[in-house]
Amino acid sequence: MNENDEMLAIILAGGQGSRLGKLTKSTAKPAIPFGGRYRIIDFTLSNCANSGINTVGVITQYQPLELNAHIGNGSSWGLDDQTGGVTVLQPFSSTEGEKFFEGTAHAIYQNIEYIDQQNPKYLLVLSGDHIYKMDYRAMLEYHKAKKASLTVGVIPVTPEEAKRFGMMNTDETDRIIEFEEKPEHPKSNKASMGIYIFNWETLRNYLTTSFSTNKELEDFGKNVIPMYLANNESAYAYSFEGYWRDVGTIQSLWQANMEFLSPYNSLNIGDHNWRINSKAQVLPPMYLTATSNINNSMVVDSCYVAGEVDHSILSQRVSVGAGSRVVDSMIMPGATIGKNVVVDHALIGEEAVIGDDAVVKGTEDDIAVVGYGEVLGVKKS
Amino acid sequence: MRHNTVSAVINLVEPWENLEPLTLDRPVGTLPFGGRYRLIDFPLSSITNAGIQNVMIVSPRSGRSVADHLRSGNDWNLDTIRGGLFNFPYNDLSLIAPQKKETLVHHYYDNTILFLKRSNSEFTVIMGTRNVCNIDLKALLRYHRERDNPVTTVYKSIDANEACPNTSVLQLTDNGMATAVLPAASKNVSPNENGKYAKSLNIYLLSTIDLIDILKEANERGDLVSLEDLMLQAVIQHSANAFEYTGFYANIHDIESYYNANMSVLKEDNFRSLLYTQRRIYTKVKNEIPTFFAKSSHVKGSLCGTGGYIEGQIDHSVIFRNVFINRNSEIKDSVIMQGTRIGAGTKIENTIIDKNVVIGPNLQLKGTPEKPLVIGKGQRIFQQEEVAND
Repeated sequence: MNENDEMLAIILAGGQGSRLGKLTKSTAKPAIPFGGRYRIIDFTLSNCANSGINTVGVITQYQPLELNAHIGNGSSWGLDDQTGGVTVLQPFSSTEGEKFFEGTAHAIYQNIEYIDQQNPKYLLVLSGDHIYKMDYRAMLEYHKAKKASLTVGVIPVTPEEAKRFGMMNTDETDRIIEFEEKPEHPKSNKASMGIYIFNWETLRNYLTTSFSTNKELEDFGKNVIPMYLANNESAYAYSFEGYWRDVGTIQSLWQANMEFLSPYNSLNIGDHNWRINSKAQVLPPMYLTATSNINNSMVVDSCYVAGEVDHSILSQRVSVGAGSRVVDSMIMPGATIGKNVVVDHALIGEEAVIGDDAVVKGTEDDIAVVGYGEVLGVKKS
Repeated sequence: MRHNTVSAVINLVEPWENLEPLTLDRPVGTLPFGGRYRLIDFPLSSITNAGIQNVMIVSPRSGRSVADHLRSGNDWNLDTIRGGLFNFPYNDLSLIAPQKKETLVHHYYDNTILFLKRSNSEFTVIMGTRNVCNIDLKALLRYHRERDNPVTTVYKSIDANEACPNTSVLQLTDNGMATAVLPAASKNVSPNENGKYAKSLNIYLLSTIDLIDILKEANERGDLVSLEDLMLQAVIQHSANAFEYTGFYANIHDIESYYNANMSVLKEDNFRSLLYTQRRIYTKVKNEIPTFFAKSSHVKGSLCGTGGYIEGQIDHSVIFRNVFINRNSEIKDSVIMQGTRIGAGTKIENTIIDKNVVIGPNLQLKGTPEKPLVIGKGQRIFQQEEVAND
């Protein structure tokens, strides 16, 4: 870290994302393509870079190859400077055994050597699977102003949604007095975004003491926050009001992609003052043939469209054959859609091949999914 | 000591007058092409695809647009600890002041000689940018090594009716050696029995030692001859092996040929043979958002870049990055460059619009295929009269 930097960011990108089914069979959730030319982790990495955080550790574990290739040396986000940079933190073996991890806090504990090397005053813990734009500097200012030991990013949700989140109940100064995981009867509307700023020294003490005495401190939500509250640490909720989506399920991933299509989406992807960057491949421009018909859709480099595309996103190198109709769908990079195919309410995985005349049809409540590299309806000749 | 087989010189000192206003503040080499490229991307990609790591860029003027496009060379894999890009600006002799010129006599090629010596290469390839092609330089090197002449040059076989009087063609002997590069109008060249000319692609491969000798002699004579002319002289003096290139090719020497070259990439066979071979074409990477096609849009037979917002109708056109096309507008047989905005209800045909232009609503811009209308960089046009006066 640069000597002027106080905060180190750690992105937790190791979870399996099993609720994404087929899509995460061979890749980590943060590496899932989003919005035509991004991967989910691009939002968090770009937020770090845009917030002036130059040193970022990305903790990986489950199927990390695609994610590692994507992150590279961090230059795609301008995170390859001389004093900071992105470090991909993978489990390794040592004299104390293998450093795989069981939960979010355990993942931090297993990488304590890396964090100590950076020697940060504050530790920003982030998830690699949310779609949002956020200035972490403002949250750090809040953390300092409150003289907090822990600040948790929260977002307002409806009582119905609250049943799926960890909820923070606060006093009138926004100090967290109670934490409830997925409450049936929520007492507040402040859902945890999985974004934490810790005073590193304090967290380090809790982690080392607990793990050395075999106390379970595996997860931030389940274990660490309750322990902080029990010990009367000053924990505050930082309210974020912008666009934020957890894309951990097929349904929510599809939904967020469809929202992304709207020119009025409050995510405001075109804002040049807060760019979301990605590892850009050099590809030829898109080609739309004389039979193409594209409405309310996003298309990127190297796509080839001869069919009809309506309210859908095509990622790089996707081709849509003549007579085909793609509606309300998100097609991931390299997928090939043959002729006279119908793709409706679907997520199509990378490099999937959909043969001529095939039909992939889901509904708004049950999105159809074709896995990575899956081959559907290709007639054997 | 490290040993490099080939180094490269990209010569951007090329005739630009007939491409005005597109070349008013850029060399031919940084003319936008094919929806997301600049002409220099093609030779530069050929160079890196052949594993060449030492590249000298000879710019006519300040090289601002060249440096802006190439930066560290990272996007062409040239930003490594070995070799890399070396920029040499202010080489257009016609733009150099007389006093300055005096100091250059006997020294004009000092920088090039220094580059070549330090490159420690066995061969050097010299390329221009006005002939768009995707050439396999490894095959060119093999061809050169198998033959005896000190220089190898490259041609594309074209129909005689494709050639203008000024088109530079190779004078070939019966056994396929080039003895001169001449304008097609010269009485010393004629089409072969199949009615074809050997159009010079302005690419020369020779041993680095020979090239250094040629440059040293030019310095000693002190006659300030351009690099391209020195190569023409070398072909006459030594005869050259003539390597035939058979892939996609377009020569860009005036507005009409620039326009036609862009239109020809719209043919599916052409853009596939230029852009989708094993030899990829690299260009400056930009992080644009996806292009949005609104409900009212209708786009056909066109190439489009990213970052665009399209509401209107586009037919058989090349649309670069970040272009906004408003509702009810009609774009046909046109080239629209990066950052341009087209107002609602405006009709555009056979027109080239340079970067960052704003065209107001309900206007008519119409050229012809032979004489496309050209709107220069950064113009703001809101009245029909402004179009007529252009």
